[in-house]
Amino acid sequence: MSRVHAERLLGGLAATGAAATLVLGLVVAPADAVQGQAQRLMYVHVPAAWVAYLAFAWALVASVAYLARRSAAWDRRAQAAAEVGVGLTALAIALGSLWGRPVWGVWWAWDPRLVTTVVLLLVYVGYLGVRGLSDDSSRNARRAAVVGIVGFVNVPVVHFSVVWWRTLHQPPTVLRPEGPQDAIAPAMLAGLLTGVVTFTLGAGWLYLRRVRSLALAAPDDAATDEADPVHVVVTRGGAA
Amino acid sequence: MNGTLRAAGSVAWREVRLEACGREQLGVVMPFVLAMLVLAGLAFGPAPAVLVAVAPGLPWLTVLFAAVPLARGVAAAERDDGSWDVLRGLVAPGPLLAGKVAALWLWLVTVFAGAVIVSAGLLDAAPPAAVVPAGALGTLAIAAITVVFGTVVDSSARSGLLGVVLLPAGLPALLAGTQAGTPEVPAAPWLALLVAYDLVAVALAWALYPYLLED
Repeated sequence: MSRVHAERLLGGLAATGAAATLVLGLVVAPADAVQGQAQRLMYVHVPAAWVAYLAFAWALVASVAYLARRSAAWDRRAQAAAEVGVGLTALAIALGSLWGRPVWGVWWAWDPRLVTTVVLLLVYVGYLGVRGLSDDSSRNARRAAVVGIVGFVNVPVVHFSVVWWRTLHQPPTVLRPEGPQDAIAPAMLAGLLTGVVTFTLGAGWLYLRRVRSLALAAPDDAATDEADPVHVVVTRGGAA
Repeated sequence: MNGTLRAAGSVAWREVRLEACGREQLGVVMPFVLAMLVLAGLAFGPAPAVLVAVAPGLPWLTVLFAAVPLARGVAAAERDDGSWDVLRGLVAPGPLLAGKVAALWLWLVTVFAGAVIVSAGLLDAAPPAAVVPAGALGTLAIAAITVVFGTVVDSSARSGLLGVVLLPAGLPALLAGTQAGTPEVPAAPWLALLVAYDLVAVALAWALYPYLLED
């Protein structure tokens, strides 16, 4: 299967998943007994946040791989993952704010997890900004990789902040030691998990397209990557 | 090992001498610290209870904001004199990093101590004893990260990026340091967090700094 066909398949699955999430989240799942209809934002807010963390984790892996192998393909993967992560984090923050207004009574609360998520967003905005510091693409890639790796140190702080500090934010419902049983209705859990899968597929589709566009925009770098099997697939897929 | 320590010490001493010869990092930063604390008092006051409540966090906020102009000086002498190649040829990356971190740690500890003393006086908030180890631990991690980011953003172009990358990276020091410096809050867990943050920050800087010297 060519890269383009894989992209189309991923896009199709993401669209199907989006439709399923809409049905499960808006029709099948009941409204929350306490929070009412506003709770339905959970089906997009939580998946956006989870997949954003996944994207940043992949950006970290790609950054380390770039420093180890000096392949521009890994740099493009890190950049694309960071861009997807920044978009999803911004989306998660905006949706969380919309959710928080009717539930907490405020658009923004100085909750540690909210603050550290914004901090995470700033770190990766800085990561993307560092990429334009020099005219030398390899220097940019090396500096960005360093910033990306150091920036990721904040991710565990974000993830565990709900445990470290007393907070008014919703504690973990699914990722808790005793599991999600009894904490969330099965229909809600189905909608949530479908949303997570959908966002993962959609982010994967976006990521692959971005990696391909970056490869096409940097033919000089691409010429140095011919030994990289992933890059060969990208360029052949692009040509197809 | 002795050679590494000697080289690191030489680099740190060189940084101190450069400061003494007029690089004036502290000369610029200390008035900035004073101005920030006075303005913070005006912004949060005049209610004494509010000033006492915000006092534990102000020195950390000051240190983090002071780290931005200090970061611009991390590689300034080398950039201005075109001496990076000479320095890299003479000193291995590890001792070079250690020396620069040691010097910057000294500046940050000085800034922190000044901020604690001034805020204690201006805001009438006596800090607990835990502020001493918290200050030493938190500023070490900030120094390590500042040297890395200061080397990354070593050009005048987009120097505002330093704030964007540096301030969020210092968040663990801000949170843990503030809690450790708050009276009636148990300091031990927060000091442990600062130790963990130090280990991560120094290890990352040690592992990644050589890649920045390839330019």
